[in-house]
Amino acid sequence: MKRFAIASMLFAVAVAASGFLSPGAASAEEIKLVGVITKIEIAGPDATTASATLKDNKTGELVTVIVNDDLTLDKFKDHRIVVGDEIRLKYEVKDGKNISRYFRKTAGC
Amino acid sequence: MKRYLIVLSLLVVAGTAAQAKEHPGKAYIEKNGYQGPATCEAGECHPGTAKAFLSTVHWKHASKVTNVENLDPGEEYGMKNRIYTMCNGNDTVNNLKEVPPNPKTGKTKFTGCNTCHPGDHLSDVGSTGKEAEAAIDCLLCHSSAYDYRLRKPFKDEKGRVVMGQDRSVKAAIAVGKPGVKNCMICHEAAGGGVLIKRGFSFTRETDAHAGKGMVCVDCHGAKDHKIPTGFDPNNWASDGVRVACADCHGEKPHADEDTNRHVARIACQTCHIPKTGGALAKDFTKWTQGEDGFFEPTTLRMEANETTPVYAWYGKTVRNEPHFIGPKGSRGDPGSRIYPFKIFEGKAYYDRKTGMLLSMDFAPPMANGDTLAGVASAAKTLGIREYDPAPGWQTVYFGSSHLVTKGKALSCANCHVPNGALNFKSLGYAEEEIRKLTSAALYFDKMAEKQKESW
Repeated sequence: MKRFAIASMLFAVAVAASGFLSPGAASAEEIKLVGVITKIEIAGPDATTASATLKDNKTGELVTVIVNDDLTLDKFKDHRIVVGDEIRLKYEVKDGKNISRYFRKTAGC
Repeated sequence: MKRYLIVLSLLVVAGTAAQAKEHPGKAYIEKNGYQGPATCEAGECHPGTAKAFLSTVHWKHASKVTNVENLDPGEEYGMKNRIYTMCNGNDTVNNLKEVPPNPKTGKTKFTGCNTCHPGDHLSDVGSTGKEAEAAIDCLLCHSSAYDYRLRKPFKDEKGRVVMGQDRSVKAAIAVGKPGVKNCMICHEAAGGGVLIKRGFSFTRETDAHAGKGMVCVDCHGAKDHKIPTGFDPNNWASDGVRVACADCHGEKPHADEDTNRHVARIACQTCHIPKTGGALAKDFTKWTQGEDGFFEPTTLRMEANETTPVYAWYGKTVRNEPHFIGPKGSRGDPGSRIYPFKIFEGKAYYDRKTGMLLSMDFAPPMANGDTLAGVASAAKTLGIREYDPAPGWQTVYFGSSHLVTKGKALSCANCHVPNGALNFKSLGYAEEEIRKLTSAALYFDKMAEKQKESW
């Protein structure tokens, strides 16, 4: 019985450590939206991160995301993506911040 | 292989040198400003280049086509005038213009197939003469400091739609060999959005050549602005120069002779590009309204590397019918090899009277979803007075020559197994041949030895 209790306790600790009992550490859910960029903030040509604010087409709410991927950052820097562009966005919430995972202009020719 | 390594080393050295070396003429441009092609041609720098450029596919969006069925050999074909179902419009019927106001929002916008043409729209697709030469946007492809905010359509004082250009000194002194973004500014957005048409991104993560630091023009290296291309069954126009994997890698690219024997009948792409991407299907008869009020063709999108190719024999000639555009070839044809293709299906209007596909001006449906108004507008432009539109589907085989991988290439056990990547029956093999081709007996000893070595 004692052996069983110890094993149960160890199991509970392992489960907690793996995140099952800790909602804050649960894997982030991907959120999708299509919206128009209202603001881009980037700290110069060598910046490795930027923030972009989009107005969600469906809800009208403003959503600000952190953009870290090199390709999108480069498009911000040379203005291939600018305020007013419509974007298809996927992001996840990590440590209270919206992190962009997919940032594409909807328009094409 | 050795040749490939030498060429690659030279490319890396040359590329580094090209980036590090300043393009001559900086002082001249800083002193005189940049006036477009006239500045590039000043002195003895690039004389005659603008005139020559007007005869290329990038300017004409068309060329004579010799490997596609059912075309007039005397005519030129390309984005200028083609009708198919990835882009149901073309430069002619869907010319860049301001669309009618959206009834919901009252807003309008500029759109057109020729948005990517490297002129100013006043001098447009296929135009000639001094005015056209002066309108070429050299920096769009050659500057690493182009301000793309300026590359937007607007109406001039006469009400004409003009495509803006960045002709700043800053952009002009940053000229050089085109980088990936110079090409992708147009090529990644074709077909109605990012990675819709071709479905490949050229990044370190998605392509082995990009991973080596190569850029598009390392393979598609132009001479006199004539850009070499492959034989994609859906990419008809060409400058008459071609590029192939063997140009760099040779006919015996592998250390293993058994693998090299495949090269005679299996295209490099078949093993080294195991995935495709981009739009799977589109419906031009039913457009979907976005939250901004404008309509777009209903499109099933897929990411780069998200779809599996279909394999077919291809001898570099193309079957071209109203409901099918794809490879011609067979096992019996010694010039044919097995290639991977992305299969795309598009729905659009056909003319019941002729059985031919009709094209569409996107301006009317973009504003209000009225697709038949788009067909009517295109028909008017083309002088077609009588037609009877009926929806129908077309299948298009797109060539798959990017998203190259070495590490994830198909190997023996990917194809030579009963449920392998290749459908040997549809490729023309008999039952007995298939039994042999899908047996581990073909490669058992060699693979067992490799397995032993790897552990």
